[in-house]
Amino acid sequence: MDFKLGEKEEALRKGIREFAQKELPSECFCLLLEEESRDEDWKLAMSISKKLAQKGWLVMAWPKEYGGQGASYWEQMVYGEECGYWGIPGVAMGVSGVAWVGPSLMQFGNEEQRKKYLPLIASGEADGVWCTAYSEPNAGSDFANIQTRAVRDGDEYVINGQKVWTSCAHRARWCWLAVKTDPGALKKHRGISIFMVDMKSPGITVNPLLNYYGAHIFNEVFFDNVRVPASNLVGEENKGWYHLMHSLASERHSLGPPLYGNARRLLDELAGYAKETQYDGKPLSQNLGVRHMLADAAVEAEMLKLFNYQVTWELTQGLIPIYGSSRNKAFGDQLLERIGIIGMRLMGTYCQVDPYSKWTKLHGIIQRVYLLSPGISIAAGTDEIEKNVIGQFKLGLPKSY
Amino acid sequence: MDFKLSEDQEMLRSLAKDFLTKECPKVKVRELETDEKGYDPQMWQKMAELGWLGLVFPENYGGTGGTFLDLVLLMEETGKNILPGPFFSTTVCALPILEYGNERQKAKFLPQIANGTAIWALAVIETLGGYKASEIKASARVGDGYYIIEGTKLFVPNANVANHLLVAARTSEQAEGIAMFIVDANSAGVEVEVIPTIAQDKQCQVTFNRVEVPEGNVLGDVGGGWDIVEFILDRAAILKCAEVSGGCQAVVEMTNAYAKDRVQFDKPIGSFQAIQHRLVDMFVNAEGLQYLVYQAAWEISTGFPSRLHISLVKAKAGEVYQRTCLDAIRIHGATGFTKEHDVGLYFRRVKASEFAMGDSDLWEERVAAELGL
Repeated sequence: MDFKLGEKEEALRKGIREFAQKELPSECFCLLLEEESRDEDWKLAMSISKKLAQKGWLVMAWPKEYGGQGASYWEQMVYGEECGYWGIPGVAMGVSGVAWVGPSLMQFGNEEQRKKYLPLIASGEADGVWCTAYSEPNAGSDFANIQTRAVRDGDEYVINGQKVWTSCAHRARWCWLAVKTDPGALKKHRGISIFMVDMKSPGITVNPLLNYYGAHIFNEVFFDNVRVPASNLVGEENKGWYHLMHSLASERHSLGPPLYGNARRLLDELAGYAKETQYDGKPLSQNLGVRHMLADAAVEAEMLKLFNYQVTWELTQGLIPIYGSSRNKAFGDQLLERIGIIGMRLMGTYCQVDPYSKWTKLHGIIQRVYLLSPGISIAAGTDEIEKNVIGQFKLGLPKSY
Repeated sequence: MDFKLSEDQEMLRSLAKDFLTKECPKVKVRELETDEKGYDPQMWQKMAELGWLGLVFPENYGGTGGTFLDLVLLMEETGKNILPGPFFSTTVCALPILEYGNERQKAKFLPQIANGTAIWALAVIETLGGYKASEIKASARVGDGYYIIEGTKLFVPNANVANHLLVAARTSEQAEGIAMFIVDANSAGVEVEVIPTIAQDKQCQVTFNRVEVPEGNVLGDVGGGWDIVEFILDRAAILKCAEVSGGCQAVVEMTNAYAKDRVQFDKPIGSFQAIQHRLVDMFVNAEGLQYLVYQAAWEISTGFPSRLHISLVKAKAGEVYQRTCLDAIRIHGATGFTKEHDVGLYFRRVKASEFAMGDSDLWEERVAAELGL
């Protein structure tokens, strides 16, 4: 047993820290920036993407031939932690370009597809930005229930249907799309395929869906006779579900380290706030309740850190951390929600102020995490779905739904 | 970074499991709760033969030269099984003797511990029940070649069977004017009374009526006693949390088995999300506690203990154990509420472990301080 990271990882941590201090604008507090919502934030995110690409960090995990550095799992973990801590925008290339589309193409795409799409993502340019379209009005957690259809027509497929909650669709150049190719399949999982679709294709309509505080993160996307070259089918036709489950399992682990980084940063900010804020003649930090709330959250942050270590260690052992990844996502979601609640309590009456107004404290970061956290615990699999995964695959309990 | 145990550690663990399963089944645990001594001398002797009692001592003191992490793994197993008796209390006295004792003290006391002939108990806390230097009122006055100790100690584990007591007593009125004394438990003026506890775990009140202790029995420096208490606290807290972690794992395991087995509405109750998600939370928290323990233990083993990492564990362990047991009882239904069911054995130990070596409040406060608050 050994709980120490190597020198290489610590050097990387230092490098990212310096990068964040140099490249992130001081007038803007980027942590948990909903970068796809406001134009100026998106512009900033894309400019940082490019700089991350130049540093060789954007797709560090990928092999050199596709623009990466073949970074170790430990380096990826540290990178995730630090990006979360500093709130570095532009790390994802939309939703899933880096974490998902690339690794999936490497796993079950063909060489032609890899050569075309991977360098675009690796470059950090706008043409490498992706959205992911899985959910539909009647297919949320029950994803296999999707109805959007792709029908073969010569060298093309014709796509019709509707997607919803598609984050970043309004910024993306490409869509990673799940459709039904065999609606008559005996089991509904068996008729699903994955396509890559150019968002500029005729017949695609993107309708904004504003979230409850007015941010434009997700969208409805309509497909009306959209024609896609057959060469854009990823992997085998009707095997999409299995491809996805595989890449999901190996990629979900990337969610934990940034959540830990977020949590650590928020706790540091809140500790600083508690020390500087006087209430009733003494600093908030001397209030026993405040001290214990923050200490409790710090304990859970440490648990998340160790969970991330454990999953990363499993990856280095050649294991696929199905259970650990679900655990870390659900645990991290709950931690962020809890820190949001604690933070709002510390802000007192100022917690209700618009995060961008002049009355706000701590650059509005607490309101933003509080408002955003319910969304985070739904996106990429709700906490309930993650707990089902853990119950079934780790505890060996019967299917509960 | 490595989450794997060494082969030796795996072996230690599996031997411990086999030994405890055989020698200390739950029927024995229950028997020892009402036993006057609260431990089984024969089992104790076997533990000595297995090398447990001197696990971290160098060979010249009768030990096997194991690491602190090894000891933690052993404690985890005793927590899983429940091992009544003075293993913890003796160990937490042995560690400071090893660290602060002079050659004579080490050569005299450590081999006796390792071979099972001496049982020790740590006597620090008093009427307020906490670990603050200012709470120590027991006094040690200088006599002619000896000290005279006077005062009352509470919640001294296993003092009813101890041969030696390690006692914190005040040598001056200054806040830190405290020394640690090695006291023969059979000295004139030592009175031991077992405090009835929910865990029936033989914690005692020990009264010192003008007890004479030879000067040579001061451990470390006079006036340096509180540093020794802090040294003990850090290590003993992690050992106690290892025991708690083992207890949590055992409770989750038995509850998971029950949830698969117990059928209602024609289905195993583990197929209901109200049960399944509760079990998932229990499992994840127990696992998180386990890693917190390992991290702190590994750091202590390497000689670079982290105050933050130690404090985090003890701040959390009590809450996790309590939640785990309460949820386990709920999932077991009325069966879990009976005297016969094992889950209650664990639940009744929750508070004993939470308040041993500083309660959650004390350690949360230390975490807060480490956060710069």
